[in-house]
Amino acid sequence: MSNKAPARSGGLPPAARQRPRADLAALVRKIGSIPFEVSETRTDVDVRIAPEHLLALVDALHNRHELAFDYLRNISGVDQSPEGMELKYHFYSFKTGYALQVTVPTATGHPHVPSLTGHYPAADWHEREAAEMFGFVFDGHPNLRNLLLEEDIHIHPLLKAHPLQAAEILQGIESGPPGFTI
Amino acid sequence: MSIWPDEKVLTPGEAEFDTVDMTINIGPQHPATHGVFRMILRVDGEVVVDCEPYIGYLHRGLEKLTEANDYRQAMGYWDRTDYLAGMACEHAYVMAVEALAQIEVPERAEYIRVIMAELSRINSHFLFLGAFGADVGSFGTSFIYAWRERERIYDLFEEVAGDRMFPTYMRVGGVAMDLPDNFEQRCRWLLGSIRQGIEDLDGLLTGNEIFVERCRNLAPMTSERAIALGITGPILRSTGLPWDLRKAEPYSVYDRMKFDIPWRPDLQGDVFDRFWMRLSEMYQSARIIEQCLEQMPKGGLVLNPDLPKTLRVENGEAYIRYEGTKGEYGVYAMSKGGNKPYRMKLRSPSFCNLSALREMVIGSYVADAIIILGSLDIVLGEVDK
Repeated sequence: MSNKAPARSGGLPPAARQRPRADLAALVRKIGSIPFEVSETRTDVDVRIAPEHLLALVDALHNRHELAFDYLRNISGVDQSPEGMELKYHFYSFKTGYALQVTVPTATGHPHVPSLTGHYPAADWHEREAAEMFGFVFDGHPNLRNLLLEEDIHIHPLLKAHPLQAAEILQGIESGPPGFTI
Repeated sequence: MSIWPDEKVLTPGEAEFDTVDMTINIGPQHPATHGVFRMILRVDGEVVVDCEPYIGYLHRGLEKLTEANDYRQAMGYWDRTDYLAGMACEHAYVMAVEALAQIEVPERAEYIRVIMAELSRINSHFLFLGAFGADVGSFGTSFIYAWRERERIYDLFEEVAGDRMFPTYMRVGGVAMDLPDNFEQRCRWLLGSIRQGIEDLDGLLTGNEIFVERCRNLAPMTSERAIALGITGPILRSTGLPWDLRKAEPYSVYDRMKFDIPWRPDLQGDVFDRFWMRLSEMYQSARIIEQCLEQMPKGGLVLNPDLPKTLRVENGEAYIRYEGTKGEYGVYAMSKGGNKPYRMKLRSPSFCNLSALREMVIGSYVADAIIILGSLDIVLGEVDK
């Protein structure tokens, strides 16, 4: 290694811009054979699918060369009570430049969703976080322990029913206001 | 050959006694973990066999607090995520709210935001260069060199926003106040100082053979593996894939800026390439700031005047991706009417990059594990939310 500072300028053309959403919606509709609904959010195409069909859809998204979603950006839980909870998956494809959101609604009292760790290793921590924050159960996840919360604390703070202060009371940091029960 | 005549010479891989793996705890209070991060290493001699990261020591319930406050109040929590680049985090947050509420931003405010975000990026990368140099063994020198420039950037932030680390300067629909009169002059002087600072650190670290030999060929990574693990930002670019959200999906005024994504034909995603990538990016950030100063409208509004006193947002959802200093800083925002967000989720780049640590350190020496952790450039405020 020479002592000279390395060259600093990139020689590659700018990466492909994000592709139009209308094309993607048409491509996704072609998957067929699985029941799902396609709509649009402010920024992405959204696919709404039941948890039992999720793995089949992800298979298609991951393996079809015209979609080729190779990157799982984010998993986000949403408490839609009283209707139950939803998971929002965000995918991106480095090969085609498409971005997609997948919404998976779960029934009240049965928050079971198949784990995507088999397709995307990145899903590991995202799923652990959604599990502890909302109480989702990711079937097939190898290690669904608490990640951000204490290991022996079993509360789901991001549920709407969970009061803002309860975590502090449980940890003994603050005493609860009178009449406050967890 | 042994210098002792009666000693048995061992071939590599052979041991004359049974060995037992040892478990070492590092952190959470340990300077090499750059915050409150804990990892438990299982080592065979000096080689790491397994690594279990533990996070959450700085968990402050960002998402819960954001749901409990209105759009204006909640912003103050967000610059405490990546606290080395508070302005960039605020920028991502206000972009998410603006995408939800379809709010326009005056042109001058967009330029001011980009200047502040790029100064934050330089600031954050300076901390990396200083701290990483200290990790590898330059002790305090690189740290102090980096601190000189960081102080000057913070001084400028203080003059602009009234605060150094947590400026709370951005607003939904613009920025809080216009720049001070002498800003352009001060900023140009600062850019000269920053370039000098980068060159000083470049000479100190890249010019040091011990440093380079320590970092070369350590924990290399392919682009495919990095994508699968969810790694973004400088670490992904150091694998040779020039993917930058400022180019791939330009937001704000980045589509008007001329800058390069640093690239070399022999990039292999090792620890040295990560260091090189951040060092080279800083020059590009300085270029962007210069262009902003030239193109910026000299006067005009910095805050959208049509905003209501209390912002109420209609139903909708948006996922904003922002090139944060550590990678893709994603904000998923959902509104169901009213003055508070129904759900705000932070996809923090440090969190995803850190989740790949286990795979990177297995098979390396304990001393190298510390360097690999340092090369990820995590900020625990962002990992733990």
